[in-house]
Amino acid sequence: MAEIYFTKDHEWIKVEDNIGVVGITVYASEQLGDIVFVELPEEGITAEIGKDIAVVESVKAASEIYSPVSGTVIKSNEDLNSTPEIVNEDPVGKGWFYEIKISNNDELSGLMSEEEYKKHIGD
Amino acid sequence: MSEAYWGLEQNLKTTPLYKIHNNNRAKLVPFAGYYLPIQYENGIIAEHNHTRNSVSIFDVSHMGQIKISGPMIYDAMEKILPISFSKIAPGQIKYTQFLNSEGKIIDDLMITRAFEEDHVWLVVNADCADKDLDHLYSNLNKTYKIELIEDRALIALQGPNSSNILKTFFQKIDEMPFMTADWFNYDNENFFISRCGYTGEDGFEISIKDRYSEKFISKLLQSEGVKLAGLGARNSLRMEAGLCLYGNDISSSVSPIEAGLTWSISKERIENGGFIGYEHIKKDLKNGVERKLVGIKPLGKLPAREGTQIFDKNEKTIGEITSGGYSPSLQAPIAMGYINSDILKSDCEVLLNVRGNLIPAEITSLPFVEHKYFRGNK
Repeated sequence: MAEIYFTKDHEWIKVEDNIGVVGITVYASEQLGDIVFVELPEEGITAEIGKDIAVVESVKAASEIYSPVSGTVIKSNEDLNSTPEIVNEDPVGKGWFYEIKISNNDELSGLMSEEEYKKHIGD
Repeated sequence: MSEAYWGLEQNLKTTPLYKIHNNNRAKLVPFAGYYLPIQYENGIIAEHNHTRNSVSIFDVSHMGQIKISGPMIYDAMEKILPISFSKIAPGQIKYTQFLNSEGKIIDDLMITRAFEEDHVWLVVNADCADKDLDHLYSNLNKTYKIELIEDRALIALQGPNSSNILKTFFQKIDEMPFMTADWFNYDNENFFISRCGYTGEDGFEISIKDRYSEKFISKLLQSEGVKLAGLGARNSLRMEAGLCLYGNDISSSVSPIEAGLTWSISKERIENGGFIGYEHIKKDLKNGVERKLVGIKPLGKLPAREGTQIFDKNEKTIGEITSGGYSPSLQAPIAMGYINSDILKSDCEVLLNVRGNLIPAEITSLPFVEHKYFRGNK
């Protein structure tokens, strides 16, 4: 069973057996508005916790996405290249950004639970 | 994710339409000292497309409305603006710029020659209103009365269906041509209505007393097809229309000749001069300018925003993007920016440096989307 964690900067990560899937939250996608482009990380690159790893371009502005954990990017969601709007439609599902092989599971303890994140955004 | 639109500032003003924005679930952002809607619940792309296909209301009450009155008003204004009142009929609007002594743009504005011979009506950029007033006070003597109108909201109604909507309130307003203005009466309120806008579509700007603005917008919103649109759509619409945004595409370091605004300067004034900045304008026209504002189409889907460096194929900087984003009409990125004039003479390849990615781009003329102004029933 995958566990989901959140960052204060509105990314989520679903983790199962050392592999994480990363995306942005519903709140973030609503704040950004219409998303028209996602610059995804290349497979094989090393991600560092808290460092920018992807860029979301909405009609309004470009926003950087910070990796919730360190590790190696093993897959990017290529569907976003042709249909970036799925991030608005299903941000915590089909609108995922990349898959990462987590290098240090301890980093997960610094992230928020769903309940904590909801408090964080004042829901 | 980096915070692009979270921060809310203190001490911001609200427009008389604040309640309407909130009731319509606007996403309010700080803009030019006001809380203004960046978008409503349908989002920027939907609002943009609705404006192109039907009709939208924009709250532009933050803009500065200025009335200047006094004797020989046209002579006095011609010393400040590069326009000829002899070529402007009563009720006609002109797009023009305040220039500094270097011939650079202090602000761009709309000026209306009133039907009465004693005053003119200006609409200036919100962020520039204070420096515009300083400029006016320093260059007009005390016999002129300069009033910043603070009790009138300004609403833009834009889109192909805008005149059909407005003619249900104001008789014959549909016959008024582009770039003319007049006073109208409805429900015992006075409306100053200009047929102009910032979207490239047919449309109107309606100046109306604050106290009546909410009621009037509510009536407009009850008309078929009328929806609210925010600053986000306003920006993508004006970019498609190739219209300059002060602070981005034009500023006090840009001349109107560089910005492709030569058309807005009266030919007669270019010959005879007598306005602030004239010597520099004349020189720019005679010798040419080193950079010019152009349209830029990044190839692919990645938008290139303001500040993006433009490279030639050897990765030498040849210009910079001043406005850029996504065009909902073309479903592709578009941009405007300055490029060295000598580069423009040749058919050169350009590259845009977007966060280290070099994106090939095409230089094009402006606008990206054809203007659809109503020029009259002649």
